Amino acid sequence: MFENRAIGLALTLPAALFAAALFLLPVGILLSEAFRAGDQWSVQAYFDFFAQPLNQRVFWRTLKLAGLVAIVSAIVGYAAAFCIVSLPPTSRGRMFGLVTLPLMISPVARTYAWLVILGRTGFVNAILVDLGILDSPMRILFTETAVFIGLLQLFMPLMIISLVSAMENMPRDAISAARILGANWFQVFTRVILPLTREGLVVGGTLVFTGAMTAYITPAILGGSKVLMLETLLYQRVTVANDFVAASVIAMILIVMAFSANILLKQIATARRTRA
Amino acid sequence: MKKLLLATAATLLATAASAQDKTLTISVYSFAQDEFKELVYDPFEAICGCTLVIETGNSVERMAKIEANAANPVIDMAVISSHDALAAARKGLLQSVDITKLSNYDKLYDLARDPIGDHMGIGYTFYATSIVYRSDKVTVTSWADLLGPELAGNVALPDVTTNQGPPTLYMLGKAMGDTDPSLSAPIEQVAEHADDIVTFYVRSSQLAQLMQQEEIWAAPIGRFAWGQFKDNGFPMAWATPTEGQTGGLNVMVMTAGNGNEELALQFMDFWLSTPIQTALAEALVDSPANSEVVVSDEIADNLTYGAETAASLDLIPADVILDQRDGWLEQWNAKVIQ
Repeated sequence: MFENRAIGLALTLPAALFAAALFLLPVGILLSEAFRAGDQWSVQAYFDFFAQPLNQRVFWRTLKLAGLVAIVSAIVGYAAAFCIVSLPPTSRGRMFGLVTLPLMISPVARTYAWLVILGRTGFVNAILVDLGILDSPMRILFTETAVFIGLLQLFMPLMIISLVSAMENMPRDAISAARILGANWFQVFTRVILPLTREGLVVGGTLVFTGAMTAYITPAILGGSKVLMLETLLYQRVTVANDFVAASVIAMILIVMAFSANILLKQIATARRTRA
Repeated sequence: MKKLLLATAATLLATAASAQDKTLTISVYSFAQDEFKELVYDPFEAICGCTLVIETGNSVERMAKIEANAANPVIDMAVISSHDALAAARKGLLQSVDITKLSNYDKLYDLARDPIGDHMGIGYTFYATSIVYRSDKVTVTSWADLLGPELAGNVALPDVTTNQGPPTLYMLGKAMGDTDPSLSAPIEQVAEHADDIVTFYVRSSQLAQLMQQEEIWAAPIGRFAWGQFKDNGFPMAWATPTEGQTGGLNVMVMTAGNGNEELALQFMDFWLSTPIQTALAEALVDSPANSEVVVSDEIADNLTYGAETAASLDLIPADVILDQRDGWLEQWNAKVIQ
């Protein structure tokens, strides 16, 4: 863009210094707490963290729920994205708007709505009891199921948006050509749609997994302290125990998990490209 | 002309210095700040001709700030829980309050006069904790009823990290005949019945919605939260368990070496005075620690009020809370939290 590379670099310098001084440096100092034992550098804090059964359970629960949300989002997201891109332009815009509308509503408001819907006297239990499926209302709130539903509703639009964008860039004739050549729908999906939309899947998967893993409001409201996740555990360590070392450990774990998810998804996408 | 300018500058500097001396920085809880401004801060500023600088936040943040500025205190006085005050006192962050400068000191209930020793904290409000319940569904006569079959699947308990958590466990232990400060026995019992407990709440505001949605029929709460339930459309009752009620106490403290002791004492005395404590009580902000406060029965119904009530509360001593809470949290996380 700039003939003189130095000019380009010089123009980015103020922003880079701003980001480094006001973001990277403070975050680095905060996270360095996780690598110190007194005045020495040490990873003992991580061993101490994972030595506790509660922390192990919280870690695996976070990984499980975030993974499930990402996988179900992808499955439902592909179906939704395929329907959206198959619609005429006017209808497509309206449908896309409906998908993105929840993103404009505060996550707190959305989560509190689930408190009403999933409650003992809420919509779900009322339907199940009226249909005779249940004799009496069941407890959904303050369980992993409630947290899963809340996170899925919160983050699935991001997956759908990524996949719609990827599908719109697919060659229009690709699916028709595959069908003409005898591919069934499963083959069309696995051999045509999936490879051509892998970038969208990687972006959407990263956003959904990272978002679900680091969500606080939804697990706090729908799960409470009986369904702790890493973010709610971090909050507990800071506000109750004033344990910034444990909080830094948790923050570092979340960062590593986010990067790992992104790398893994890219590896899967790359492997598909190589095989193809 | 030159002399006039110098004299004017000197006057301005003196005035600025004087105004700067008449500033009091206080650290307070976040809730009801509009009411406090109207009833306490503005009237005091008018009397003292000073400026109040208000700092709010959760207790952990406020304590951390006091500690961070220990060498050169920014905050002159603070209101915190009795056990947080004791923690600060043990770290040398506080100084003893000169009670000879508090004209309203002798009006305080006994439990508020010297709750943490050496007059490091002066109680300005306290509250009772008991069980609020749906009287059409169940009758609660004991703290043990919280874990009983009638309330199984219909009760919420406070998380051990909340101010209501340890007092609830303590009273459960009392009902079991075990008042050991480790709270091992009641924590064990709660763990055994964890599946019967809907949730362990961290804010009393959560309970109002849970009760409204009929997710729960009963929960231990502080009296300050009673107003959220008594008019919710359901028949609600406040339990008077056979083991009695527990509660909590908040205190005023003065930071060590703040250099603003006179003004801080004047403000404390103002806050403890009968008119101000009455105003705060009538606004349903804080229950009075001043025994001369008189309010109507309707107001008293929403407060922790009266000498008899004050004397009857079974509070966990601040030093016990401080010495045991790490152990409580460890047991709770190991046994109760799934």
